[in-house]
Amino acid sequence: MNEIKLTLNGVAVAGAEGQTILEIARAHGVDIPTLCHDERVEIYGACGLCAVEAEGSPRLLRACSTMAADGMVIHTDTGRVRQNRKTALELLLSDHTGDCAPPCTLACPAQTDCQGYVGLIANGQYEEAYRLIMEKVPLPASIGRVCPHPCEDACRRRWVEEPVSVAALKQFAGDLALRQAPAEPETAPPTGQSAAVVGGGPGGLTAAYFLRLQGHAVTVYDAMPRMGGMLRYGIPEYRLPKAVLQEEIDRIERMGVTFRNNVKVGREVTLEHLRATYDAVVVAVGAWTSIPLGCPGEDLSGVLGGIDFLRDAAGFALSGRKVAVVGGGNTAMDAGRTAVRLGAEVWNLYRRTQNEMPAEAIEIAEAEEEGVVFKNLVSPLEILGDNGTVKAVRLQVMELGEPDASGRRSPVPLPGREEILEVDTVIVAIGQRPDTAGFEDIRRSKRGTLIADEHTFRTNLDGVFAVGDAANQGADIAITAIGEARRAAEAAGRYLRGEAPEDRTPYWVKTEPGAEDYAGREKRARVHRPRRGAEERRKDFLEVHGGFSGESAAREASRCLECGCLDYFECRLIRYANQYAVQPEKYKGRMHRRAVEDDIPEIRRAPDKCVLCGLCVRLCEETVGAGVLGFVGRGFDTVVSPAGDREECASCGRCADICPTGALLRADAKRAPGGKVEF
Amino acid sequence: MRVTVGKGSCGIAAGASEIWERLRAGLRESGIDCAVAVTGCIGMCYLEPVVNIEDGAETLTFVKVDAGAADEILKRLRGEENDAARYAIRPEDVRLLHSQRRIALRNCGVIDPECIDEYIAREGYAAIETCVRSLTPEAVIEEIKTSGLSGRGGAGFPTWFKWDAARRSPGGPKYIICNADEGDPGAFMDRAVIEGDPHAVIEGMMIAAYAVGSGEGIVYVRAEYPLAIVRLEHALKQARERGLLGDSLFGSGFGFDIRIKAGAGAFVCGEETALIASLEGERGMPRLKPPFPAQKGYRGKPSNINNVETYANVPWILRNGGAAFAAMGTEHSKGTKVFALTGKIAKGGLIEVPMGKTIREIVSGEGGGIKDGKAFKAVQMGGPSGGCIPEALADTQIDYRSLAATGAIMGSGGMVVMDESTCMVDMARFFLDFTCKESCGKCPHCRIGTRRMLEILERVCAGEGREGDIELLEELAGQIRDGSLCQLGMTAPNPVLTTLRYFRHEYEDHIRHKRCTARQCKPLLTYAIDGEKCTGCTLCARQCPGRAITGQVRKPHEIDMSKCVKCGKCADVCRFDAVEVN
Amino acid sequence: MGCGCAERRELSGPALDTALLEPYLAEYKDSEAKGGLIAILQKAQDIYGYLPEELLTYIARRVGVKPAKVMGVVTFYTQFRLKPAGKHLVLLCQGTACHVNGSAEIEGAVRDALGAEEGEITGNGLFTYTNVACLGCCSLSPVMMIGDKTYGGLTKDKAAAILKDIEREETSG
Repeated sequence: MNEIKLTLNGVAVAGAEGQTILEIARAHGVDIPTLCHDERVEIYGACGLCAVEAEGSPRLLRACSTMAADGMVIHTDTGRVRQNRKTALELLLSDHTGDCAPPCTLACPAQTDCQGYVGLIANGQYEEAYRLIMEKVPLPASIGRVCPHPCEDACRRRWVEEPVSVAALKQFAGDLALRQAPAEPETAPPTGQSAAVVGGGPGGLTAAYFLRLQGHAVTVYDAMPRMGGMLRYGIPEYRLPKAVLQEEIDRIERMGVTFRNNVKVGREVTLEHLRATYDAVVVAVGAWTSIPLGCPGEDLSGVLGGIDFLRDAAGFALSGRKVAVVGGGNTAMDAGRTAVRLGAEVWNLYRRTQNEMPAEAIEIAEAEEEGVVFKNLVSPLEILGDNGTVKAVRLQVMELGEPDASGRRSPVPLPGREEILEVDTVIVAIGQRPDTAGFEDIRRSKRGTLIADEHTFRTNLDGVFAVGDAANQGADIAITAIGEARRAAEAAGRYLRGEAPEDRTPYWVKTEPGAEDYAGREKRARVHRPRRGAEERRKDFLEVHGGFSGESAAREASRCLECGCLDYFECRLIRYANQYAVQPEKYKGRMHRRAVEDDIPEIRRAPDKCVLCGLCVRLCEETVGAGVLGFVGRGFDTVVSPAGDREECASCGRCADICPTGALLRADAKRAPGGKVEF
Repeated sequence: MRVTVGKGSCGIAAGASEIWERLRAGLRESGIDCAVAVTGCIGMCYLEPVVNIEDGAETLTFVKVDAGAADEILKRLRGEENDAARYAIRPEDVRLLHSQRRIALRNCGVIDPECIDEYIAREGYAAIETCVRSLTPEAVIEEIKTSGLSGRGGAGFPTWFKWDAARRSPGGPKYIICNADEGDPGAFMDRAVIEGDPHAVIEGMMIAAYAVGSGEGIVYVRAEYPLAIVRLEHALKQARERGLLGDSLFGSGFGFDIRIKAGAGAFVCGEETALIASLEGERGMPRLKPPFPAQKGYRGKPSNINNVETYANVPWILRNGGAAFAAMGTEHSKGTKVFALTGKIAKGGLIEVPMGKTIREIVSGEGGGIKDGKAFKAVQMGGPSGGCIPEALADTQIDYRSLAATGAIMGSGGMVVMDESTCMVDMARFFLDFTCKESCGKCPHCRIGTRRMLEILERVCAGEGREGDIELLEELAGQIRDGSLCQLGMTAPNPVLTTLRYFRHEYEDHIRHKRCTARQCKPLLTYAIDGEKCTGCTLCARQCPGRAITGQVRKPHEIDMSKCVKCGKCADVCRFDAVEVN
Repeated sequence: MGCGCAERRELSGPALDTALLEPYLAEYKDSEAKGGLIAILQKAQDIYGYLPEELLTYIARRVGVKPAKVMGVVTFYTQFRLKPAGKHLVLLCQGTACHVNGSAEIEGAVRDALGAEEGEITGNGLFTYTNVACLGCCSLSPVMMIGDKTYGGLTKDKAAAILKDIEREETSG
C-alpha cells in the first residue's frame, strides 16, 4: 500500500492510499462526528455530519466516503464545517420526537436521574442505583426523607393514577448504602489545588463532595458546632434522624474533606483570609435569619423565629403552653409539629387557606393529625403582652381576593373583623433570609442575597462562588442548593483548571404529552412507606415514616413509565447536539408521529427518533444477512420498517446496538449511564 | 405524393390521431393511393395538429387541423374545390422554423419515426458505418473533442472526456447508458427526440459504444413516456432486423445491442448514480462520486451515461465533422441547444438554436412574444435545479457560463416563460414542493431542509410570513447547498435564491404588506363586488363556501371579508366581471 | 357496470393467480433477476392493477431478494401502488408549465367532478386521480393523461366534461 502524506488541521500526517479522510483522521486522534458511518458496514455517506473542508475544493467533502489523496490539506473544524454540521443536527432534531430527559429529571433542581435509579431499583441493582444518585446528590438518605420532590409533581404516572414515590425510593437506596457501606467514590488524583467551602449545609457539603472528587483539597467552614446546616438544625428529628444525616456527612469526611466547625466568616476568619489561603472559595452559608412579622409586640419575650426555635427545640419546655405558629410553609409545619411533641397546644395562623399553603400537603395533613389547629385567613396585627411576655395575638380576618402574578389568590383584610387568640408563645415562620455579614465585598441583591451568575455561580470576586439560600433568589428547598452546589463545583473546577466558564444549559429534546396520551393504561396503586399513627408519633421524636422493604421498593419502582429515552446515555445525536449548541426551534415545522404496528421480536422501535442513517438496514442485510429491515417511502416520509416474514429475524439485537439514537432498542434496555454523555 | 401527420405526444393530445384516422379513411374511400405517414413533433406545438402534403419538391403545411380542416384537405387531395388554404401555415411561422438550426432535431417532424428507411434515406447509420470501417475509437473521441459537444442533460460536462474515461477504465463489460429520464418539469426535448427520431439516438449510442468499447447499451426512459417507449422498441427491432444491432456489425468484430428499462417515477434517477441504482433494481438513491460511473458504474463496471439530446447530436458530428459543430455557438459553448419553450409564451414548442442566441431573441422571436400581450417578467431555466432570470437580464446569451452567472443554469432545456401574472414567491414554492417530494431522503439537509424551506414559503404565500423568514431561507439555502450529496439537493435552493436575488421585493411584499402583486396567492387577496357591474344574479352567493356574500336578487351583492375564506370561487363564477380582486 | 374493481379485488384474494406473472419472472433469469425487479413489478402492476403485499412477498421469493427490499423499491417509485385504483387512472400534470397555466384549478375541478381525493377510488370504481410530475406536454398545458391518452389545453369545464364523457361511455356500454 502506498503511503500518502496530507495535512490535517495544520499537522502533517501520513496515511495509506485507499484510506478515507475519516479513517486517517481517526488514526490521528482527530474526532469527526458521524451518525451513519460504521466500520461494520459499507460506506453510505448520508448524514453529512462528517463534512470537512479541503483546500482547493469549493465543496465540503464527506470524510467518511472521500478517499484521501496525497497532498490534501484538510480542515475538520472550520466555521463553515461547524455551521453545516450544526444545521444537519438542527434539521434532524426538528423532526425528532422524544424525551432525552424524563420529566422527573427536568423538574429536579439537581437534575437527578430519577428514572435511572428507579429503574435500577426495579431491577434489584441497588448499589448501581445508589451510585447513580450520588452522581448528583451526595446525601441520598437525607434528601430522600426531606425533599418536597418536584420530580413527583412532574411524574407522568400521575395521569394514570398517582406519581411514582421517587423520593422514598431514593431514601431506600440511600439507607441501604448506609447499611451495606459500599466503597466510597474514588477521588481523582490530587491536583495540588485547594478550595474552601463556607457553610456545611446541603449546598456546602455537596460543593465539598464534588470538589473533592475532582482531587482538590477541600475544607468546609461552618459557624455551628456540627455539620449539616439546615438539615440538622432546621429539620426535626422525626423527619430526618440526626444519625442518618451524620452517617452521610461522615462519608464525605472519609473522602478526605476537612471540616472546621464553630468558625464563622466575619467572626473567627475573614473572607479575605480564605481567598488568600485557598485557590477557590464557595460560599453556601444559607439563610438563617427569620423574617420578622413587622407588627407591634414582636420584641416581647415568647416571640421566636421559626428557625431559631427549631435549632434549639430541645431547649424549650413547652408543656402546657399555648403556641401560635405563623406561616404556611414547611418550616411552620416543622415548628408546629415540634411544639406539639414538646407538649404544647398549637395553632397555625395563615393568612390564606390551606389550599394556598406552600408546605407539602402531607406535612399539613400530618400536622393536623397530630393536633395542630389550623386557623386560616388570619393575619397578626399585634402581639399583645403582659409584663413583657406574650399574652395573646390580635388577628385581622382576611378573605381571598383576586389571584396575583403567581396565580395564588391574595388575601384581603375584611374591614372591622378582628379576633384575639390567647397564646403565650408566638413562633414566626414566614421565611428566612441570609445573614451576609462578613461577605460585604461580594455584590448583593436588593433582597440581601449574594449575586452569582446563574450558570457558573461566579461572584464579582475572582475565584469566589456563591450558591444556595444565600445566593440570588434566596431561600429555597435543599435540593436546589444541592443542584447549584454541584454545578458551582464544576464551574470552580473549570476555574481552577484555567478553563473558560461553561455558561449554557444542555439541550434536550422534549415532548409535552397530556392525560389523553395515557388513557387506558393499567392502573397500579402507589406503594406507600409505613407510617406511625398520629397518637403515637406526637409523643416522641422518632421517625414518622419507615422505609421501603426491598419487595415494596421493587413493586413501586416498576410503576415507572420510563418517559426518558432509554438510549440517552449512548445517543450520539444528543451528544453532537450539545457539542454543536443546536437551536432547532427556528426550523419548527411538520413532525412525524408514527404508530408502531409491526414490531420485530425482542426489539422496541421508535421511528420518530430515527435519523435514517440506514445503519440498521445495512447491518441487517450486509452483516447479519437477514434483510428484515428496509427503507419504506421516499424523502421526508421515509421510514425504516421490517417487511415480509419476521422469521428471518434472529432477534440478534445488533440493529439496536448499532442504532445511533433510541429509534431501535433491545426490549430489555434500561436507562443507565453506560457510556456517559459529555456536554 | 405523401401526406404526413405529426404524431408526437403533444400532437396526439391536440387530436392528431383522429385527424390521421380521418385522412386515411377519407383517402381510402376516395380510392386515392396515398399513404398517410406519421412523423414526430416538428416542434410547433402551438400549431398542432400539423398535416403536411409533400408533392415533389413542394411541401404544403396545414396547421391547427380539426375535423373540418381535414375534410378540406381531403377535398384538395381529391382535386375538388376546397377551403384548405385557410389552414395553411402562415409565412411568419415558416420563417420561425427556418430561423432555427436543427441538428438534434434534424429529422423530427420530417421523417416517419417508425420507418427505418426514412432515417437511412437521410444518411442514417452512415456515421456508425464510417466509424466502424475507417476510424479508430480514439479518432472518434478526438472528433467529439473537436466538436466541443458537452452533456445536454444539464451539467454541460465535456462528452469526449466521459467517453475517454470510460474507454481508459480497466475491466469490462462496459455499458453505454442513455439517460431518457427527463424529469425537469417543463422540459420535453428528449421525449420529442425519441418520439420523432429514435434511430438518431440509437446511432449515437452505437458510436459511443464503438468509442468506449462497449457491447451493451441501455436506455432508461421515464414510464410517463409510453409513446417514446413504443417508438424506441419499434426502432430497435427494425435495427436488429437490418443487422444494425447485434453481433459483428458491418462485418467487423464490433457488436452492440440496446435494451430499454422503463423508469418508475423518481426525478432523482436523472442523477447518474441514482439511475444506475435504479437499473440495478434498487431504490434510486445517489451515492458519492468518485468513483464516477466511467470507473464504477452499472454492475460496478465502467459505464458511460449521456442524455438523449447528446447522443442525437453525435451522428451529425461524425458525418459533418467536429469542426462544423464547433463552428456554431460561443467560445465556451459549442453547437446548438434544444429548448422546450412553454409557459406564458405565444408560440410554445420545441426549438433548436445555436448557442449564443439571447433569451430575448428566443422569447420574442421563436416564441412569438408573451401570450395575451402581457408583460414579460422572467424566464425559468434549468427546472428545479435552475433559476428565474428576470426580463432585465434577458439579453444574456445562451451559454453555459453566462447562464450560470445569473444564478440559473442551462439545464436540460426547459424554458418556462413568465409574465406579470406569475408570482415569483409562488414559483419558488412550486419548485421547492417538487424537490421536497422528489428528495430521495438520504441526506438530512435535503430531506428535511427542503421541507422546512417549503414550509416557510408556504407560510409566506399564505400571508403568514414573518420578519426573518427571508434570512432563514437564505441560511437554509446555503447549508442545503453545502451539505447535500447529489446535484438534486445541492441545486434545490436555486429557485429560491434566484427569485430572492431578482424579486426580493415580492417576498417583502408578501411578508410585510401581505400583498401579492401578481394576484396568485389567494390568501393575500381581497375580494369586492363592483355594484355597477353586479346584476344580483346570486350565483356567487350560492357558490360561496363561507356564506360571506349577501344581497337581494337583482340587487348588487356584497362580500363580508370577515367571513371570506378567499377561495376565489366568486370571481370564477361571475359572468359579469363584477368581482374585483386586489 | 363495467367497473374493473370487482375483478381486481378477486385477484388480491387468497387465490392470487401468479401464473399470469410467470412468463415475466422467467424472462429475467437468475443473475438478471435482481436488476429486473422494477420491470417485474411494472408487469405485475399492469396485470393486477396494483401490488398487494402477498404478491410482493411472492415476487421477492421468486426473484431471490428480501421482502423488505422489494417494499423499499415499491415505495420509492411513485408509479407503484399498494392499493387498488379506479379503472381509469387520471394523471394530472403538475409540471412548471401546467402550474403556471393553472393546474391547481384543474385539480380542484377534477376533485369536484370525481368527488374523491387524490389517490382515492371514486364511488363507482371508475376513477382514481393522482398528481404527477411533468408529463412532457408542456406546450399544451395544463394537461392530464387518462390511460395512454393525453388531454391538453384544459380548462376546468373541459376537464370535467372529459371525465363525464368517459363515465357516460362506461355506464351506458
